[in-house]
Amino acid sequence: MTEEVKAATQVVMGAQFWIATAIFLLVYGLIVTEKIHKTILAIVGASTMIVLRIITQEDAFNSMELGVDWNVIFLLVSMMIIINIMKPTGVFEYIAIKSAKVAKGKPFMIMAIFSTVTAVVSAFLDNVTTVLLIAPVTMLICQALELDVVPFLITEALASNIGGTATLIGDPPNIMIASKAQLDFMAFVYHLTPVIIVVLIAYIISIKFIFGKKMHVRDELRQRIMAMNENDAIKDPVLLKKSLVVLAITITGFITHGMLHFEPATIALFGAGLLLLVSGTKEPHHILAEAEWATLFFFMGLFIIIGGVVKVGLIKWMSIKVLEITQGNLLGTSMIVLWFSAFASAFIDNIPYVATMNPLIIDMARQLWPNFSGVQLLHHPDLMPMWWSLALGACLGGNGTAIGASANVIVVGMAEKMGKPISFKKFMLYGMPLMIESVIICMGYVWLRYYILKI
Amino acid sequence: MKVKDLMIPLQDYLRPENTLKEAVNLLRVSKKGEEKVGLKGLPVLDKEGKLVGMLSMTDILKAVHPSYMSLMNLSDFTWEGMVESLAKSVADKKVETVMTKDVITVKEDDPLMECVDLIIKNSIKRLPVVNKTGKVVGMIYERAVFYAIAKSLLDENTGGGE
Repeated sequence: MTEEVKAATQVVMGAQFWIATAIFLLVYGLIVTEKIHKTILAIVGASTMIVLRIITQEDAFNSMELGVDWNVIFLLVSMMIIINIMKPTGVFEYIAIKSAKVAKGKPFMIMAIFSTVTAVVSAFLDNVTTVLLIAPVTMLICQALELDVVPFLITEALASNIGGTATLIGDPPNIMIASKAQLDFMAFVYHLTPVIIVVLIAYIISIKFIFGKKMHVRDELRQRIMAMNENDAIKDPVLLKKSLVVLAITITGFITHGMLHFEPATIALFGAGLLLLVSGTKEPHHILAEAEWATLFFFMGLFIIIGGVVKVGLIKWMSIKVLEITQGNLLGTSMIVLWFSAFASAFIDNIPYVATMNPLIIDMARQLWPNFSGVQLLHHPDLMPMWWSLALGACLGGNGTAIGASANVIVVGMAEKMGKPISFKKFMLYGMPLMIESVIICMGYVWLRYYILKI
Repeated sequence: MKVKDLMIPLQDYLRPENTLKEAVNLLRVSKKGEEKVGLKGLPVLDKEGKLVGMLSMTDILKAVHPSYMSLMNLSDFTWEGMVESLAKSVADKKVETVMTKDVITVKEDDPLMECVDLIIKNSIKRLPVVNKTGKVVGMIYERAVFYAIAKSLLDENTGGGE
């Protein structure tokens, strides 16, 4: 172990090393200050890496290890296309109105059902999309019931981050981890979904204690909800049917992609293409233009920047430092990865965080098991808990603060527009304890499942 | 024809700190030149008489329209009394929070076609007219422009000249 560490410590810290490190730190530092849009920083940082010959354009565009991870990009863009086609059908309005009616207009029931629906939808769609679809209806329902909308918006944002953690496609960190670690959809279902169900149940019980007692609604106001007809929401039943069929095919594709040896991006792209075809749209440029290009370019830029610091050895150097701290204690490393990821993601964007951690964990594995390579290395039984700890920490950590996850930022913005601002403090007052609660559950889960039961 | 030939001199205007209640009252009693009482929009001037915005009927409608309604198709799920109760809740809102801030203006000596162009391109119904020093001196309305067009159109003797 010490021999290997010594050999590996010989990262050449030449000019290239320091230039790449400077670009990396500058870009990440400026992302935190939010003075310049993160996408612009990512594009400038990435192109600077290439211009200064830290990495070649060939590597930046074509290398899976050092460049843009097209798996992630195509998966994201394809899911965006599918949602953009489905949105005008009114299915999301239908689900939300139906949920409020199932809850019979009772405030806590609405909160619990909306949170659960948000979590489940988030497991399959991007969290921001889910919140953008559920929050407007929530505001309407709260206005009808004359309730304060703020607790509802906060609980939905938190639920979307919890639900998103459950699957490969639920949250960008999972998509990135899956691609780098070559993990399939079912692996996430098998390893993350069980603990997320527990986290969600604990979450619903917790919000019952926090908000449950304060909310009361007069019967005549509940009638407003019961008078709504959810079927009115469906604007395009034909397109809806087509969309649901394509979505079913796509999800079946995700479930079986590991067995069929397809990448998830292939499945998503096929789904998007199929839905574009059957939707009969004559103007695909509208649907394509609505994809979140700023987010997609942020990813592309980050991948290239990370490629630069991987190439010069910064990430390897960092992984050596981590191993020095943990002394090769794997349980300890998992716990550190889990908690560090959670608190890091609470304050910084979890996408650049995971983009950095992925190669770091791989480098760590290379030093721990120098005789392994490829999938054998990535799926080393002792490495698996690290991936799950990273995913759980990075996704759930976002709940800690108002800026921890994009979904939180969205609901805070919407509340402000409604004239009900949510302060940073107020969000943290609810978010931080609930985040810590969820990470404690995950800690117990990782410890019990991977270090005691070893299943 | 020039803008000043059609403009109606400025009579009433709002201040940014007026409440919507005050604004609605003024809209109801304002005169358009000698015409009937009631206006669909008023300029908003600050203490120095500088034009800072326009408040139109549509802006009042927007004030009661909840922000979430523009995010999704929710018109089927509204209820009776919703507009009334929201209207009450915005009564004390300041004009400056609701008014349209990017105001398009014309100058007294601008040719009439400039008004036609601006009305079409920005789908607006009225334009504040400013003098050389930038002070609002009057208003020009879509209707007045229409009457001017109608007059030329019906009068065979006035070809293109005048």
